Amino acid sequence: MASVATTDIVAYMENYIMKNCLWQFHSRAWDRLRQNEKIIGITSQLLCGEEVDLSTPEQKCYWIDSVILAENYKKNVPALADMSVEEIKDVMTQLKDRIDYLTVNGSLNLELTDKHY
Amino acid sequence: MPYHLFKCSECIPEREKHAVIKGPGEDLTSALPLGYLNTIPGSISERGCAYCGAKHVIGTPMKDVIHISHGPVGCTYDTWQTKRYISDNDNFQLKYTFATDMKEKHIVFGAEAILRKNIREAFEAFPNIKRMTIYQTCASALIGDDIDAVANEYMEEHPDVDIFVCNSPGFRGPSQSGGHHTINIAWMNQKVGTVEPEITSDYVINYVGEYNIQGDQEVMQDYFKRMGIQILSTFTGNGSYDGLRAMHRAHLNVLECARSAEYICNELRARYNIPRLDIDGFGFEPLGNSLRKVGMFFGIEDRAQEIIDTETARWRPELDWYAARLKGKKVCLWPGGSKLWHWAHVIHEEMGVEVVSVYTKFGHQGDMEKGISRCEEGALAIDDPNELEGLEAMEMLQPDVIFTGKRPGEVAKKIRVPYLNAHAYHNGPWKGFEGWVRFARDIYDAIYSPVHQLSKLDISKDEIPGNAGFVTKQMLSDADLSDEIRNDPNLREYTGKYSIIEDLQAKTYPEFPRSCHEVAV
Amino acid sequence: MSCEVIEKERAGVINPIFTCQPAGAQFASIGIKDCIGIVHGGQGCVMFVRLLFSQHFKESFELASTSLHEDGAVFGALNRVEEAVDVLLMRYPDVKVVPIISTCSTEVIGDDIDGVVRKLNNGLLKEKYAGREVHLIPIHTPSFVGSMVTGYDVAVRDIVTHFAKKGEPNGKLNLITGWVNPGDVKALKHLVKEMDIDATVLFEIENFDAPLMPSGNTVAHGDTTIEDLEGTANAVGTIALNRYEGAKAAKYLESEFEVPAIIGPTPIGIRNTDTFLKNLSQMTGKPIPESLVRERGIAMDALTDLVHMFFADKKVAIYGNPDLVVGLAEFCLDLEMKPMLLLLGDDNVGYAKDERILALKNNVNYNMEIVTNADLWDLENRIKNEGLELDLILGHSKGRFISIDYNIPMVRVSFPVYDRAGYYRHPVVGYEGAIWLAEQMANTLFDDMERKKTKEWVLNMW
Repeated sequence: MASVATTDIVAYMENYIMKNCLWQFHSRAWDRLRQNEKIIGITSQLLCGEEVDLSTPEQKCYWIDSVILAENYKKNVPALADMSVEEIKDVMTQLKDRIDYLTVNGSLNLELTDKHY
Repeated sequence: MPYHLFKCSECIPEREKHAVIKGPGEDLTSALPLGYLNTIPGSISERGCAYCGAKHVIGTPMKDVIHISHGPVGCTYDTWQTKRYISDNDNFQLKYTFATDMKEKHIVFGAEAILRKNIREAFEAFPNIKRMTIYQTCASALIGDDIDAVANEYMEEHPDVDIFVCNSPGFRGPSQSGGHHTINIAWMNQKVGTVEPEITSDYVINYVGEYNIQGDQEVMQDYFKRMGIQILSTFTGNGSYDGLRAMHRAHLNVLECARSAEYICNELRARYNIPRLDIDGFGFEPLGNSLRKVGMFFGIEDRAQEIIDTETARWRPELDWYAARLKGKKVCLWPGGSKLWHWAHVIHEEMGVEVVSVYTKFGHQGDMEKGISRCEEGALAIDDPNELEGLEAMEMLQPDVIFTGKRPGEVAKKIRVPYLNAHAYHNGPWKGFEGWVRFARDIYDAIYSPVHQLSKLDISKDEIPGNAGFVTKQMLSDADLSDEIRNDPNLREYTGKYSIIEDLQAKTYPEFPRSCHEVAV
Repeated sequence: MSCEVIEKERAGVINPIFTCQPAGAQFASIGIKDCIGIVHGGQGCVMFVRLLFSQHFKESFELASTSLHEDGAVFGALNRVEEAVDVLLMRYPDVKVVPIISTCSTEVIGDDIDGVVRKLNNGLLKEKYAGREVHLIPIHTPSFVGSMVTGYDVAVRDIVTHFAKKGEPNGKLNLITGWVNPGDVKALKHLVKEMDIDATVLFEIENFDAPLMPSGNTVAHGDTTIEDLEGTANAVGTIALNRYEGAKAAKYLESEFEVPAIIGPTPIGIRNTDTFLKNLSQMTGKPIPESLVRERGIAMDALTDLVHMFFADKKVAIYGNPDLVVGLAEFCLDLEMKPMLLLLGDDNVGYAKDERILALKNNVNYNMEIVTNADLWDLENRIKNEGLELDLILGHSKGRFISIDYNIPMVRVSFPVYDRAGYYRHPVVGYEGAIWLAEQMANTLFDDMERKKTKEWVLNMW
């Protein structure tokens, strides 16, 4: 029962990203993997109430996209409020794997592996 | 199978992989149209050339530059005045175009001598302009003229001028997109970092991939100025040459059209560690979130929120008036490269229309990934469409309106589908909060035009109503609306002016205090 | 005080008057029924020209590209011509005529379009399209020669040369109109009909003004048929109205098939229309009817209302297609106006010998300049930096900022006109055209008087 709910939550989160965000669609595979890791990672930190490293412009730039995500998830996934840090991290890991799959590993975009910009 | 082969393309079956219908439960890994491949000769594709992508789309919006094409006169003529990229420099870039007018003898003997003459003549005709961009064309590329050498020689003799050379002949690559890439990389390599700018704010951005169509850039610039942000350069709408030479000093690259300008953003990140933030300037929520993100980056999100609150209060009632009347209308989103994904989701969310098709003339698979992610199930996505496929799609989908280019719009007109110009807009600007209402109003005016209704009547066959001398747009749009919506006192039609740019250009902005040391970003 | 003919001094072009040759060839193609031209070159060569046509006519026209890409530029691209022909013929089963139009890129790389046409005629057309009538016509129009005007002239000649076929005399007159509007074709057909003459109009573009119909798709297209083109060899005569747009074809028919040719004049204004009717009469033996005397009379009446009251000594600058520019200058002189500056937008060597231009040179007794190989900076610079004062500009829409920024009234003529509604629907030729032109000029001047408050009260009592 818990896993069904988790699937729904991940599906909601995935759908929000794919409908509204652009950060997951940089033009190369390595960029996408990094973007996904950082932004979903920081979103996870925000949802878990953890402190985020904002020491560089690069980090700030990931963080701002994460803030928007976290805000939306908190508002539209009330179940998050009752989840433990572990459960949240589990959901977010599933989300990251799913976004990695959609945008890199399972992607049919042939330009992702081009060496040059 | 989500891949879609048009009947008219059965004889060129390779087209099947260029169109996809987004099926229920499917995701991007099920099917994605191929993209940015060589065009099929004779297919009557919508595509243009790489010279266009470099010179016309990206180069010429620069407002304080002499734009000269090294080649015969046609390339320059064809790309002169044919876009609505205005500027606050009295539209110098729209009014004047320059060509070296290569002739047969130059093809045989080379044209570097007339190039030299042309550079001198152009600067002499416009002594107040000290910047120039020289664009290679098919002809000058094929005869191997060394434009860079001629330009460098001139710059040595005239240290007060600066010249940028862009080698993007029409045949370089399958479409305009090759030209975007060439000019991005060339500008990065030749010009970025060659000027140190005056910094006037603690918060400095480059606004990238924005071409000031009908004033879009000036609308967005107004928001940034209200937040106290310095736009060091805009690449390239309403942009200045020297501003763009200083791109390396920005804290953040705010990127709109990733299709044409992500290349320079990637290079700026790689070489100068400037982060890249992709935004959407269209639609209340995406725009609001975009302004908040930029604000948050600099720690001034309260300033962004104030703008969002003010603008939303002013314009939401008008957007909602149109949205109530556009709900369920079918649109084909058929632009060049990026508006398919800028608009696909938000136009459904905020105006209620159904996007039944998206296409891209010169985009890459990445644009399709974004577009298909954002559109609804059942939408038909087409890469590199050709004219027969466009007609077949319109017959199949029966859209109420299409957003596309001027000439394909004429094709749609003939089968009684009203069109709005997706590249140059009808009554723009369409960016910003007020702009988005202007877009909604244009869609409304197109769909509910009484003339459009009249065009469907065959007076030789159909019953002629004959009981009315006129019909209003609102009679047509409100016919099936509930009384509650029709009479909602909180909603109203657009109350803005015909032209909104003059007021923006006349505005003054508050001074924001500078911190006394370099802001640690 | 005199009229001088000079060549533009600068080497380069600032604000061109014309685009390049392939546009002219494409304009000729769209006048033919069941014809889709293939432009062999970069995609821009077709895309922009289709856009230009759509701006002028507010219609879309079908033209294809061989889509030259980098590999073709290096290794040659004739295979793309072959593929383009095949793809086009497969997908457009009604197409019968396919001009293959070269561009600067494919001429520089040396692609032999004549050779590939021969190859296709003997190969693909015989094998895959046996029994289907298809005419492939190679047309050489590199952009580094001439302009859209010469490209049109070359294309008309090549098309007529391809089709003209000796047969029984058909009693028709070939009327080669030159680069005109649907409104012009309608007016010319009217004149010819009043003279009871059966004419083959090249090209029959009246239906470029295509309707929006309740059922079905009506893409705008031309109506000149293969039969029309074949029959040109058997006509009683050819009149090519524009020396620079169609004379080559007329001369070909004369030398090859002994079809007598008269070149010009462009029937702009009363005098040139009179001459046109005289030529029509001479060539066919038909008399000029009373109905045309009356029509001329209506024009005379309209002009008389305007000339010495409003047009006398008004200074005009004129640019656009060359025969049009000359015809307009001649008409303006008849209207008592003063053409001050004529701009001929390419380097055609014929201008120096053109007896109409020599006539201007010899008879105009005030300072007038005719500039060859001109561009629009030649006009603007004279206004901005050399004190040229003008009351009116006659030219196409690309010069609109000169009118706007220097506050000089302008009547749009020539091609392209896209910043005014419906001009393609009106003639500038014939008696009707004389009325249209004169009244457009008058109303434009009147509007300007009102905006500038210059004797605007005069119109209270006109």
